[in-house]
Amino acid sequence: MKLLAKYNRVNIVTTILIFIAGSIAFYFVLYYVLTDQLDRGLRVEQQEIVNYVNKNNALPEIHSTKHQWMEFSQTNVAIKDPEPHYGQAYNILEQEKEVVRQLTFTTPVNGLLYRITVNQSVTESEDLLELIIMLTMGMIALVLISNYLVNRKVVNKLWEPFYATINNIRNHKLAAQEPLHLPSSHIEEIDLLNDSINKMTSRIHRDYINLRTFTENASHEMQTPLAVIRSKTENLLQDTEGQEKTMKQLLAIESAAMKLSRLHQSLLLLTKLENRQFQLNEEVNLEMMLREKLEEKETLIAARSLALQTYTTEVILSFHHHLAEILLNNLISNVIRYTPEYGNVTISLDQQSLSVSNTAAGDPLDNEKIFQRFYKAEQSSEGTGLGLSIVKEICALAGFRFSYKYDQGEHHFLINFS
Amino acid sequence: MKVLIIEDEQALNQDITDFLTGSGYLCESVSGYQDALEKIEYYSYDCIVLDIMLPGGSGLQLLQYLKQDKKNDGVIIISAKGALEDKIEGLQSGADDYLTKPFHLSELGVRVAAIIRRKHFNGQNEIVAGEIRINTTGKTVTVNDTQLDLTQKEFQLLLFLAINRNRVLSKNAIAEHLWGDDMDFPSSYDFIYAHIKNLRKKLISAGSEDYIKSIYGAGYKMQLP
Repeated sequence: MKLLAKYNRVNIVTTILIFIAGSIAFYFVLYYVLTDQLDRGLRVEQQEIVNYVNKNNALPEIHSTKHQWMEFSQTNVAIKDPEPHYGQAYNILEQEKEVVRQLTFTTPVNGLLYRITVNQSVTESEDLLELIIMLTMGMIALVLISNYLVNRKVVNKLWEPFYATINNIRNHKLAAQEPLHLPSSHIEEIDLLNDSINKMTSRIHRDYINLRTFTENASHEMQTPLAVIRSKTENLLQDTEGQEKTMKQLLAIESAAMKLSRLHQSLLLLTKLENRQFQLNEEVNLEMMLREKLEEKETLIAARSLALQTYTTEVILSFHHHLAEILLNNLISNVIRYTPEYGNVTISLDQQSLSVSNTAAGDPLDNEKIFQRFYKAEQSSEGTGLGLSIVKEICALAGFRFSYKYDQGEHHFLINFS
Repeated sequence: MKVLIIEDEQALNQDITDFLTGSGYLCESVSGYQDALEKIEYYSYDCIVLDIMLPGGSGLQLLQYLKQDKKNDGVIIISAKGALEDKIEGLQSGADDYLTKPFHLSELGVRVAAIIRRKHFNGQNEIVAGEIRINTTGKTVTVNDTQLDLTQKEFQLLLFLAINRNRVLSKNAIAEHLWGDDMDFPSSYDFIYAHIKNLRKKLISAGSEDYIKSIYGAGYKMQLP
């Protein structure tokens, strides 16, 4: 949920609650005020009648209006302390029963006790009350709507620099030459955020550059002694011709040195892949490249008597030429290396995916482990154990999905381009 | 044929110099940027073996200098930086070839020979090993005027052996030369054996002497008198 939505939700709920409570209180206050006013009117009327009776010793004439009318009747029971109350009475002028505020009191006229009821119509006050309530409700709605709109506009505007920062971070590549620089936004909190991120990324950038230089230098420093080892063993081979045992030892040293340098190259490549040091902006004709690779490895395929089937369509991707080559090379080499003799290899390529299937020599591979570095299904095998890790990293870099599954005695490696 | 070796690692520099001298080139060697610059300025070479990371400067700068001066020296870069960017940059700066360290001296041998062939004979060159004549342009091989029918790998193998004649070539070196990254393939040594056997058979049946010797336990050697 967005911060604004969450804030709006809380805001609207509290506003509504406050308004409801306020309206209820307002209603009761108004009700009390209006009733009080009616009651005062009734008391005045009572006073007038009592005064009239005292003066004239007779009941006044009944002046009925729409809003106020009186009823007289003789009675024997005197009412002490009359109080106004709500009741129902027949309005002659309106010819209907109405809810009224009435005051019933007794007063003696010429020795007779009269019971007098003054009725005040409450319709008017009710209308007034209704109007006021409606107005209040309207205002609440208006306030809520305007509040919501203003919030949305203003808050969105306020958050703009925040989203700009997020976008900047998202688009930033560590491998870029420059560290991230987020501009100042004139809002203290956002500036604080930008500043902290700037500081953090420049620190990361510095460490990253150091690490990169270190890896490259380490590679350089390591390859040179390896080159010396190799040239020395090569020279020794010339000198020890005829000494079979020594030559075998030398050959073993040479093999180990070569393996070490291959391993190092692979690890360096993996590091570079992880550091996202490649720009994927070259057009690569994957089909053509695949055909070339297969042609290159024709003798290897033939030597193991593999039955190769290919189904390809032209696929052109925005990719990196060298990485594409490594990707295909590793996949194909892997398959050739591990398919048992006379096994089947099927390679299909279309716009969506590249799939490589081969007859399995043994059990299904461990889906968790095969992409791990240095994992080998057979420990004795000559490979570096980095081939599939490299494929996986290249796929991750390009946004491809690389997966493995085992089905009916066949390994299936699938690269999904989307 | 003059070759300049620019490499700061003394042991490697010495080995390369010895090796190329042994292959019949006139070699000079330097180990620093300034020395290299002087040599390049005053002399011209058929081929320069150039390391990129040098004390005092970058090999790429030397390359640019050569280009600015419109010098025609062939250049092969040997660098520990297998990094692709460097490879591309090197080749774009006008290097003829790029060899990643570590490498086999015999591999360097064929690459240098190829550059010199390209520079001097416009690629038209014949390598003669006894009665075997290898035409590197047409990729044809004749023995006493009889043309041989060789596969691509057999041709590559013969050229590799002939250029590195009288040297023991380890199975590793041959495998790397023929298959590059795929050299650690399980039965690549069996392939080499098969290719050598076929090549020998073809050469002998065309009337050549059996120059290719198998060095037991190590590799092969083309022995020429």
